[in-house]
Amino acid sequence: MTTAVRNIEASIVILIAGSLVSLLFARWRKLCGWVSFAIVCASSVCTGLAVVRTFAAASDERTILSLPQLGSRLSLRIDPLSAIFLAIVAVIALLSALYSVRYMEHYAHDSVAKFFPILLLCIASMTGVLVCTDFLFFLIFWESMTLTSYFLVTFETENAASQRAGLKYFIITHGATLCMVAAALLVWRTSGSFAFDAIRQSLSALLVAQPLLAHTIIFLFFLGFATKAGVLPMGDWLPDAHPVAPSGMSAILSGALVKLGIYGLLRVFCSFVVAPASLKGWGIVLALAGTGSLFVGTLTALRQTDTKRLMAFHTIGQIGYICLGLGVGTYCLGTHPALATIALAGTILHAINHACFKSCLFLGAGSVLYRTGNRDMDQLGGLAHSMPFTTGTTAIASLSIAGVPPLNGFASKWLIIAACLLTGMRFPLFLLLGLIALFISLATLASFLKVLASVFLGKADESRAVEEVPISMIVPQVTLAALCVLLGIFPQLVLRFVGRAIEGVTAMPLTGVGAPGMWSGLQIIDGSAVGFWSPIAILAALAVLALLSYAIQRAGGAQSRSVPVWYCGEEHTPSTVRYPASSLYLPFKHAFQGIYPSGRIPVPRFPASLRRALDFDRWLYTPSVKAIDRTADRVSRTHVGIPQIYLLWIVIGAIVVTGILLWLRT
Amino acid sequence: MISSVAVVMLILPVAGALLSVMLKGRARPAALVTAALSTAAAVWLTVAKYGSVYTKMLWHVPWLRGIVDVPVLGFLVDPLASVMLLVAAPIGFLTVLFSTAYLTDKNREHPVKSEHYGRYYFWLLLFIASMVGLAVSPNFLQFFAFWELTTLCSWALISFYQTETSLRAGFKALLMTHVGSGFFLLAILILFARTSSFDFSALGMLPDGLRAGVFVLLLIAAWAKAAQVPVQTWLPDAMEAPTPISAYLHAAAMVKAGVYLMARTLSGGWGFPAKTVLLMAGMALVTILVALSFYFVQDDLKRLLAYSTIAHLGYVLLGIAVGGLGSTLGLRGAVLHIICHGYSKATLFFCAGVVSYVTGTRSISSLRGLAKTMPLTATAFFVGVLSVTGVPPLACFWSKFMILSGAMRLSGAIGPCIVIFILCETLISFGWMLYIAQKIFLGAPLAAAQVAADPPLAMNATLVILMIACVAAPFVGMPFVQLIGK
Repeated sequence: MTTAVRNIEASIVILIAGSLVSLLFARWRKLCGWVSFAIVCASSVCTGLAVVRTFAAASDERTILSLPQLGSRLSLRIDPLSAIFLAIVAVIALLSALYSVRYMEHYAHDSVAKFFPILLLCIASMTGVLVCTDFLFFLIFWESMTLTSYFLVTFETENAASQRAGLKYFIITHGATLCMVAAALLVWRTSGSFAFDAIRQSLSALLVAQPLLAHTIIFLFFLGFATKAGVLPMGDWLPDAHPVAPSGMSAILSGALVKLGIYGLLRVFCSFVVAPASLKGWGIVLALAGTGSLFVGTLTALRQTDTKRLMAFHTIGQIGYICLGLGVGTYCLGTHPALATIALAGTILHAINHACFKSCLFLGAGSVLYRTGNRDMDQLGGLAHSMPFTTGTTAIASLSIAGVPPLNGFASKWLIIAACLLTGMRFPLFLLLGLIALFISLATLASFLKVLASVFLGKADESRAVEEVPISMIVPQVTLAALCVLLGIFPQLVLRFVGRAIEGVTAMPLTGVGAPGMWSGLQIIDGSAVGFWSPIAILAALAVLALLSYAIQRAGGAQSRSVPVWYCGEEHTPSTVRYPASSLYLPFKHAFQGIYPSGRIPVPRFPASLRRALDFDRWLYTPSVKAIDRTADRVSRTHVGIPQIYLLWIVIGAIVVTGILLWLRT
Repeated sequence: MISSVAVVMLILPVAGALLSVMLKGRARPAALVTAALSTAAAVWLTVAKYGSVYTKMLWHVPWLRGIVDVPVLGFLVDPLASVMLLVAAPIGFLTVLFSTAYLTDKNREHPVKSEHYGRYYFWLLLFIASMVGLAVSPNFLQFFAFWELTTLCSWALISFYQTETSLRAGFKALLMTHVGSGFFLLAILILFARTSSFDFSALGMLPDGLRAGVFVLLLIAAWAKAAQVPVQTWLPDAMEAPTPISAYLHAAAMVKAGVYLMARTLSGGWGFPAKTVLLMAGMALVTILVALSFYFVQDDLKRLLAYSTIAHLGYVLLGIAVGGLGSTLGLRGAVLHIICHGYSKATLFFCAGVVSYVTGTRSISSLRGLAKTMPLTATAFFVGVLSVTGVPPLACFWSKFMILSGAMRLSGAIGPCIVIFILCETLISFGWMLYIAQKIFLGAPLAAAQVAADPPLAMNATLVILMIACVAAPFVGMPFVQLIGK
């Protein structure tokens, strides 16, 4: 009998065993890559089966290991929410593994033994995180994920920047994990169990009995998950760690790994917290944090000239959108179930969509890096002719992240912003946040137009012949771009499952999410057409208009001719006439100069006086040993070697003894 | 059968020690075989007696006849002793294995000629024997005898190179731990004078006030042995010892004897006044803090590891104190920490040994980019660092987590305070240790680090075994630990 949980177990076991297998093949770079890809394929198939089974029938729970003295069990269960994230992990992992097979040739000095086996372990721990129902084991998988991704971030051992980024990443996220350890232990103190269900119960009891403690616990959970998700200011590790990782790993980091932070937040705020009053407060906190992230992250991205760093800042920005949606959803959860449904559907849908387009973007940046060895947009240009697939997929993903309809980014942002604005009718703060989010989309578009223009358009360098990346690297990019289009036109394909996930995770009664027909687009069943958006209709209208304009052009007999750009007749090289990325949007850059403060934290010095005080040898032991030594020396000085003196001592001693005895008698 | 295996386990290393002296330059195979057999016996003993308490008293002490008419010397194998055996014997064997490769004239830091082998293996095997004997001691008297034997062995081994500094360090270790032992002896004498018994359970027969006094005396002895504040200063100086000895001394022997004494004292469940137990917990926290403050100025890799050991023994004592305050989980966590920390710290020290063997230096500032030439050592060091600092899923996370959850069980605000303190310390020490690991092993190699010599097979084998142990230790320890305090 096979069940969903069994499939997941198989998937994790395949990955862990596979990491050893791939280690055996590490000597042969390409073979190791293909072997690892095969292993990821097998595990992704298992995970996929588990996801399908979960939506077909309710999943069972299986306990593998039990630690009664800690009140903890390693038990696995898949609910619709984890199934959705499992699907993200499986797809992104599969495509990134395929992409990395050839991409890792790029690193001639570093052995792939440091990459593929650890990548497999990382995927295994991500899978584990999503199926645990016990917080102790959740934390173990969680930190295994951090640990393995740390080694992937520091893959280039001789690159000082990647060392620094890795250290920062690991220390910040480990701190976050310790926050969660503290939170879990505080809950455990009252419940005696680490199971999710027990946490929910004791947290709701604590919210009544000891609200301060309960809110501290929630805050610690928030800190832990938001750090991983990359919500500012805790997500400061993200723009450093993403660019230095190998691009396949950057795609996983941004597409899947930071999403698990969102998964955690969803669990905490939709499932653990049930009191409407505290939900409202935390909803505002989440929404503010999200808006802050999306504002600062996106505007800082505008300043970047390094492609991967720019995308990393956009990850912060997009996570900000997700967090904003989650905040609105949490705020409405207790009071306005319909609005909560829209917001949460937008949140989860955006998480899915972000995985598609951001991974595609990172892979595109990786392809450029692979062929040109460069991430600096000022030195790149004109790659559109030589790398058509990369250009096309990056263009689609760029438009998608900017929320251009009818791509998938629009569908989810639409839901989030709609929920914001509608909630804003009742609580004006959200109106403001929604408007900010709406206008920041423009900045996203601007920033990605910069990428497209400076990397792919313009005049190409004739000196360097650049060709398209190999087919195994094109396939993942094209797949992801196709998903962007597909999910944009048919969002209801996944929305149905998102609806199931929301129903499953929240403890509140909610309005259902429905997707009545293939062609109806987004619709939240609420009696009203609040979340309505029909991409097919828009697409049809656009197609008609395009046909019409084409027909007019043909009818008028207009001629188009292409001529080279006139550079005033001067001799030039492509790099001198290109419009560099750093020259774009200068007024914006000046206006928002200090928006992302950065600087080194001065290393606190341990006061020397305190250290001297703690050095017991210095003021205690050495002096006392010396004093004993001196005393012994003095005593030994009484041994002068003259018999008369000894006799004198004896006489004195006898007198003293007699004296004492006499004194005792009386 | 059981008792004869126990006797063999104890006698074999002693026999090996004597053989080593006789064989001199060819001592290595004999040492290796006897240590391996003794380890096998120890493992068999723990497995065979799993879940039960096995006591067998074998010998009288002749001059105590008339006062104590029951045999005083013998064996006690209970879950606590099993854990200690599983630390002392296998790590002892690995130390011997590592030494066979480390103590050669190829060593770039300290070449050793073969005429010194006899002396080295004699003391090392005697060290193992005394730790094994201490682990299975059924009463305070035997405990004390082996306790002093470990002091003696560590004195001889710390001074092994016989340089000015190592002689001084050895003497310092001897002096400080021996003064501590004086308190231990005093405690035993008080106990014996009042109850005519050396048994651990005799503590329960003492009147309350006196019991607290005896407890404090034992505590001082344990502090000295386990290098706790205020008597921690001998341990960093003891780094003059050959690196395998440092590994054994830190991971399994000597310092672990101190915390083992406290675990024995408090695991029996004789109530001690909360004030004295709180003193123990408080000093453990102070020790952790003091040790942490010394991390940042160390340039000698081994000294850094020594301060980390001090902090971790503080963890163990903290856990035991939490157990003494009524939370059995804390005591179990502390005992689990003995085994988890043992294997993790051994990994780190052996890595430091490999580094100094290959490059001839232990100075952190002159090492960089070693991962290029010694990937296995680098992996082992990272595993060790992450394990010691308690990153899940590696060994010390489990034990630390158990100690923390034990502390959480305490009533009042003390539990959360301890937890917050420990978590902060964990984050800082984690960050620093990771930084040091990166500094030594990653980055572009420095001139001093560009040595092509691969470490010998015996060293690599030791590291691989220990890396596995860093993952497996909690799973081996957990079944034993959960029987403690039942």
